[in-house]
Amino acid sequence: MAAESHSDTEYGRTGEEEPELDRGPIEAWAARSIKNPGRVYKGLFYTAMIAFLLTTLFPFYWLFMVALTPSGSLQNIILAPSTFDPTLLAQGDLTMGTNPGAFVEIFERLPFHRYMFNSFVIATITTVIVLIISSLAGYIFGRLRFRGKSPLMLLVLLVSFFPPAAFFLPLNRLFNRNIGVLEPILSDGSLYNTPYAMIIPFSALFMPLSIFILTTFYSQIPDGLEDAARIEGTTRLGALFRVIVPLSAPGVATAGVLTFIAVYNEYFFSRLMTDPGADNWAPIVRGILGYQGQYETLFNLMAAASIVGVLPVAILVVVAQEKIVSGLTAGALKE
Amino acid sequence: MADVTLENITKRYEDVTAVDDMNLDIKHGEFVTFVGPSGCGKSTTMETIAGLTTPTEGKVIIGGRDVTNLPPKDRGISMVFQNIALFPHMDVYENISFGLRLRKYDKDEIDRRVEKAAEVVQLGGMMDRMPDEMSGGQRQRVAIARAIVRNPDVFLMDEPLANLDAKLRVHMRTELQRLHKELDTTIIYVTHDQAEAMTMSDRIAVINAGELQQIDPPLTCYNEPKNLFVAGFIGSPSMNFVEGRITDNGFESDDVNIPFEPAAYNLSTGADVTLGVRPEDVYLSRNSREAADPTPPLTAYSDVLEPMGNEIFAYLKFDEEAESDMEEGVMPGQLLISVDPDTDIAEDQEVEVVLDRAKTHLFDTTTGNAITHQIAPVDTAGASGADAEVGSGD
Repeated sequence: MAAESHSDTEYGRTGEEEPELDRGPIEAWAARSIKNPGRVYKGLFYTAMIAFLLTTLFPFYWLFMVALTPSGSLQNIILAPSTFDPTLLAQGDLTMGTNPGAFVEIFERLPFHRYMFNSFVIATITTVIVLIISSLAGYIFGRLRFRGKSPLMLLVLLVSFFPPAAFFLPLNRLFNRNIGVLEPILSDGSLYNTPYAMIIPFSALFMPLSIFILTTFYSQIPDGLEDAARIEGTTRLGALFRVIVPLSAPGVATAGVLTFIAVYNEYFFSRLMTDPGADNWAPIVRGILGYQGQYETLFNLMAAASIVGVLPVAILVVVAQEKIVSGLTAGALKE
Repeated sequence: MADVTLENITKRYEDVTAVDDMNLDIKHGEFVTFVGPSGCGKSTTMETIAGLTTPTEGKVIIGGRDVTNLPPKDRGISMVFQNIALFPHMDVYENISFGLRLRKYDKDEIDRRVEKAAEVVQLGGMMDRMPDEMSGGQRQRVAIARAIVRNPDVFLMDEPLANLDAKLRVHMRTELQRLHKELDTTIIYVTHDQAEAMTMSDRIAVINAGELQQIDPPLTCYNEPKNLFVAGFIGSPSMNFVEGRITDNGFESDDVNIPFEPAAYNLSTGADVTLGVRPEDVYLSRNSREAADPTPPLTAYSDVLEPMGNEIFAYLKFDEEAESDMEEGVMPGQLLISVDPDTDIAEDQEVEVVLDRAKTHLFDTTTGNAITHQIAPVDTAGASGADAEVGSGD
């Protein structure tokens, strides 16, 4: 590509008044491109697009292939598992030598669905908490004028500048301790091995980004709309949730999806706040690593579990994002 | 019944006083307009009544109830905004019914009321349109329908016509008046357009720099302005002002002298006064029969003419050599008059004009307060008055 665009500019410099030259194929291509630059742009676009898709999708393809390979033949994957043989189809083997059973096996060996459920629940609750609180904060920062607003906003953003690891030790100490007040609610009064041990720090960690996004969106809504809502009969809070939030639906969806994905994929904090068991609210990644035994590592199962684990997020991003936008808007229409 | 009373309302933002000790008493069913230049505090006053801002001091009383600390929704008011402020994510029906739905009216009642409101503003058959599919005038009607559907005690309008084009504005003006007759509610209307104020209101409240200057029926504000600000603000083009002083013979300035008895108005010799006269109360002396009670003629020179069709605005200057400068409207040494379109006045002519004594105002230059709205002629059969006339400056 680089060489072609080089010859491109060179031709441009020598001028266009040499019509009847005996051109090689590259020169002829360059001449056509100059006449019709749209072709080049289109070409560049597709090249970049394909390169991007390859780099992002190839790992998934590879993961899929690993998952389909029977556990003994993992070292022989060349774009497809070595055991893959389409001719087997004729003999009635629908799997054609591959091992789709891995996708079932992951649920047999470990309660992988429970790990997924854990991550899903933690991510959902965190997202809801983050959206509600950062909506309130975004309203304050985006729509009210008060002394010390900018320093306060900076302070909030400061939280997100710290590496999360910096918070780990104090939080781990805190959550491993028996807290008398919590004893009636939690069996041993400690947050360790409960979803709260993850929901609380995640909410705090992902809050600044959401506040920042929502502040920007909420500040764009004209004052008149909020005033109108308040005159018509809402409180300030009512105006926020009935008018400002629905009108900022794209921003709310962005903040929500970002938070959800980040929490759903989180491992570091969860690893340290829970024991490995699925009943201890260990997250997906913990489950995936569970296929790694002391004597053998079931890479095909890990790959299959990874794919299964990614699916909800993929669906959320591709499909639900638009659903969220229109859903939030539609929600405000009905009583 | 919903009288609106403001008691000593003051609103201060850090170091700016937006509204300064405002006292108002608006009767049920009245159409009161707040007028004033931009930033004079009229919108802040309205927001105080609406409850969108709380006053620093003072009380707001609506229908005998002190609502100073109540949120907007509990004040029995509704409001139409300058930027219309329809909820863009709701269709017309949802916009109009928003307040009713919040108050949990039942479906049939909501339907009935919305239909009636839509009928009043002539919006039939548009219930499922979204605001961005409508024209400015239609949106404004939806906003009005939204405001009237709840049967509010008080109807607040903050420059509702400012964003409409000129033709539609005149049309909506009539509609609003019709609406006021139909609804029999108190309407408080904010505008900076004094033509709107003059045509629609029962009373006009002229506000400047956060202070109430005058609240009176439109014609009273026009004919008997309480001070220089009201005199200059009400009326378009605005009143001519000539600064001068009182002598034994009456009013005297470089260009204009009007004989009268200063004692009749408790004026002492040497006092600084400003004479004010509206363009239509100045006549060419050859037509002076039209003036009920003409002053002695003044000599001036016609400068620029602005033919309007039904009248001609003529800028006169007292000094023939003076450079004309229209930037600031009527300058000192200039006089704007309105003459009949058939008059054979031309530019750069010497003309003689007379003022109508019955429509000539005097203001105290220092305080700005009005002294009189008509100047009685001197009793002694005009002899001394004729001598006093001077058309100097040439």
